[in-house]
Amino acid sequence: MFRHLLVAVIATGLVQAAPVAKSLVRIETTSQEPNYKTPWSPGEVSGGVGAGFIISGNRIMTNAHVVSNARFLTVSKEGDPKPHPAKVVHIAHDCDLAILTVEEPGFFQGTVPLELGGIPAIESTVSVYGYPIGGSKLSVTQGIVSRIDFQPYSHSGMDSHLTIQIDAAINPGNSGGPVLQGGKVVGVAFQGYSGDVAQNVGYMIPTPVIKRFLKDIEDAHYDRYVDLGLSYKELFNPAARHALGLTDDDSGVLVGSVYGGGSAEGIVKPGDVLLAIDGLPIASDATIPMDNDSVPLAEVVERKFKGDTVTLDILRDRQPMQLKVPLNGPWPFTLHSNAYDEDPRFVVFGGLVFQPVDQNWMSELQPEDLRLRYTFDFYIEDKLYKDRPEIVALSGILADPVNAYASEFRNGILDEINGRKILKLSDAAEEFAKPADYYVIKMAGIGRPIVLERKAVEQARQRILSRYGVIREQNL
Amino acid sequence: MMPRTLAVLLALCLPSMAGVLPAPKAKPAIAGNLSILRVNSTSQAYDFFRPWTKKPPATRRGLGTLIEGGRILVTAELVANHTFIELEKAATAEKSSAEVERVDYECNLAILKPVDPAFLAGMQPMPFDTGVRVGDRATVLQLEPNGEIAQTLGTVTSISVGGYPLDNMGLLLFRLSAPMQQRDGSFTLPAVREGKLLGLLMRYDARSQTADIISTPVIKHFLSEAAKPVYGGFARTGIAFSITRDPQLRRYIGLQEPGGVYVTEVMKNSPADKAGLKIKDVILAVDGRPIDQDGNYDDPEWGRILFSNLTNTVFHPGDTVTFRVFRDGNTLEIPVKLEARDRSKIVSESYLVDKAPRYVILGGVIFMELSRPYLQEWGGDWLKDAPQRLVFLDAFQNELPEDRGKVVFISQILPTPDTLGYERYENLVVSKVNGKEIRSLNDVVEAAKTPVDGFQKIELEEDPGLIILDAAAIEANRDALTRKYALPALQRL
Repeated sequence: MFRHLLVAVIATGLVQAAPVAKSLVRIETTSQEPNYKTPWSPGEVSGGVGAGFIISGNRIMTNAHVVSNARFLTVSKEGDPKPHPAKVVHIAHDCDLAILTVEEPGFFQGTVPLELGGIPAIESTVSVYGYPIGGSKLSVTQGIVSRIDFQPYSHSGMDSHLTIQIDAAINPGNSGGPVLQGGKVVGVAFQGYSGDVAQNVGYMIPTPVIKRFLKDIEDAHYDRYVDLGLSYKELFNPAARHALGLTDDDSGVLVGSVYGGGSAEGIVKPGDVLLAIDGLPIASDATIPMDNDSVPLAEVVERKFKGDTVTLDILRDRQPMQLKVPLNGPWPFTLHSNAYDEDPRFVVFGGLVFQPVDQNWMSELQPEDLRLRYTFDFYIEDKLYKDRPEIVALSGILADPVNAYASEFRNGILDEINGRKILKLSDAAEEFAKPADYYVIKMAGIGRPIVLERKAVEQARQRILSRYGVIREQNL
Repeated sequence: MMPRTLAVLLALCLPSMAGVLPAPKAKPAIAGNLSILRVNSTSQAYDFFRPWTKKPPATRRGLGTLIEGGRILVTAELVANHTFIELEKAATAEKSSAEVERVDYECNLAILKPVDPAFLAGMQPMPFDTGVRVGDRATVLQLEPNGEIAQTLGTVTSISVGGYPLDNMGLLLFRLSAPMQQRDGSFTLPAVREGKLLGLLMRYDARSQTADIISTPVIKHFLSEAAKPVYGGFARTGIAFSITRDPQLRRYIGLQEPGGVYVTEVMKNSPADKAGLKIKDVILAVDGRPIDQDGNYDDPEWGRILFSNLTNTVFHPGDTVTFRVFRDGNTLEIPVKLEARDRSKIVSESYLVDKAPRYVILGGVIFMELSRPYLQEWGGDWLKDAPQRLVFLDAFQNELPEDRGKVVFISQILPTPDTLGYERYENLVVSKVNGKEIRSLNDVVEAAKTPVDGFQKIELEEDPGLIILDAAAIEANRDALTRKYALPALQRL
């Protein structure tokens, strides 16, 4: 998450037996990241260092990004050189938090679990603990609370939650470490800017997000954040306000889109004006009053769980109405989020490699194909998910005589095989498994099909697998 | 009717090349200098970001070639968006203004005539070359500042169908390998062989030292169309095709013949569509000439040439050409009546030259019709930098519903009290205004005449979905808006 670190801030390293030492751990990880260009291969192994802290119930809290794709993890207590193997119990990629445990008996003996505090006041002082770059021992930095706002969480790349900005130095290795005020945890250090972008801007995950995560996993399963599944815009224009039946009281936002599969589908309509959420009035800039502050209206939903309900006061065709929206699940589309702890999915047939298109795939292959880019970028906005629950692309061609004339189709979107519309990767695997003389593969927007003869595919199969080191032909 | 992978070369200016050998000194008596004129063209393009204004004027220089009939042949690009054209005799620097008699941007050719015909006295028209072959030598003419002719000798390396710059139309071009120098007058240079005109150089790639020459057959086609009472231009059949080299594909479709190309796209209302050609047809022969697996026929003069040369250059709009087609195991003879492209049906124009962009401003909201020149305002990397939805609509315009009409969008919103809160909206595609479907800017003007309950309701195809303006306030503030932003007019249709 700190990808472009340039300025290493030297932290004054004198830690004078602070009580927090009994709650801190240093986490060393060995992780393996898959390679989407050779999806069958196990991927590259790399290592990293992060911080964590002990909370109630013999649990260690850290960032999800510290332990993502981990193959082996050790934690060492502050002041104790011994590394202890640990494992991930829960991981929440959408809010960048994780819970680890150490099974070794006696590990937690003598440790002190930290308690969670509230939201610190603006301008109040906080201390950041961790193992950042610049040395190997515990480092403490201090700063003030600069801003409390919604911010994107770069780990998933798609989620935004309440975030607290502090001006204490946060550097690689600080991730997962506690931020304390008055002996209580007020945040988990997790991301920042490199020095060439902005100075003294660090971010921590505040306790409302931490508490929500802990509550969510009480049933031993993480359900993710719930979402209304709609978009809205500010309503400042006086003419628009009058036309929609509003007065000049600076309230209300206009619903732009309601997405298929989302909680609000079939309940809220585009063109509705949202006036209040759970009784809290919505201002024309899409904020609500909460905790003596004004926060984005999404914060109400942020604090809820699957199965909860949200009450919306709206205007529809100038008439006031009240709607109950059961929050039936998270934001329905995950393809634009960075994915972790997943093996790439693929099907190889006749040397043609088919893969579902998602953020991981896009960032690794960076295709320039216009149709593919459009389908990915506008998948939600233009409701392309209705036609394609999954975008399956011809992502690679393992060159062989059987596919000698397929190169112009690279990065095309798979549309049909033998007349069957392909909605998801498993459809393709099914069609390829059926016996047929010819496999006629049609790509979206291209008139000529790829034609593969079964005989030729069978003859080429072993040759392609051994020549290209393909150890697995599919992962669905 | 072009293979999709056709390379598009760089534009046509000749970059300077320090250290290149000086061109051989011109022999003073070459026939060319009696037929060559310097052409100075001052042009001014419209600013698509502010469609009511033009960009600063710029002058381009090139060499025109005098041909029969007191006409001067240049590339269309040289005179695109011209405001003033001047002819200059190389040796004496005598000048005369000129007018464009005929221009066709698809084939990149224009005919100029001096305002005073007597200006050409003493000059000689240049005849056309015939029978050039790959491997032949040809000379590109340039003018030295002192009026002398500089000659660069090169070799014809290929004769094939290639993309012409403005509309990427595939027409016959000669490619010449020649080490050219940057000189005064780099737009349009004649290429000659033994005192006869081979073609006009329209672009040069300094790295590979290759020059693309508008070929004599294309020039002759243009001139013969220009001689007709109604200029017909170059026909387009309206198909895209794919090669059939893959034996698996050939066996699957049951194709026994050795050649043929697979039709992948038939544009609606195109000559091919009207004649009944279909996707999946395999074109075996055109005008009785067999087509190979790559789409070439055997031209008696030029060798293996893409068959589009037959339909767009050998034949003329109005001619009927027979296609032999393989369909579902049968062979059919399909007569196709050739037509030039009906540009009025184009959703997003690939070029807009000599024409002002249309726009309508409603209370500060600027409506335009999508065109590629608008997207190209984002610069060389416009495919990535321009608003992506508009890029996609332009790229896939042939897949839009037939009655879609033009893509009308809000390019930007001038901040005024009436547009408060909308300042940041830009490049949003419009679906309806006051409940009426929008298929052109004229529809916007019509729909705006009937506000709904006193409001102008603009519905969008994308978020935020709806923009509402106060109809009476817009009317009342018209003058203030035009004054504040110095708008010459609130619409141009």
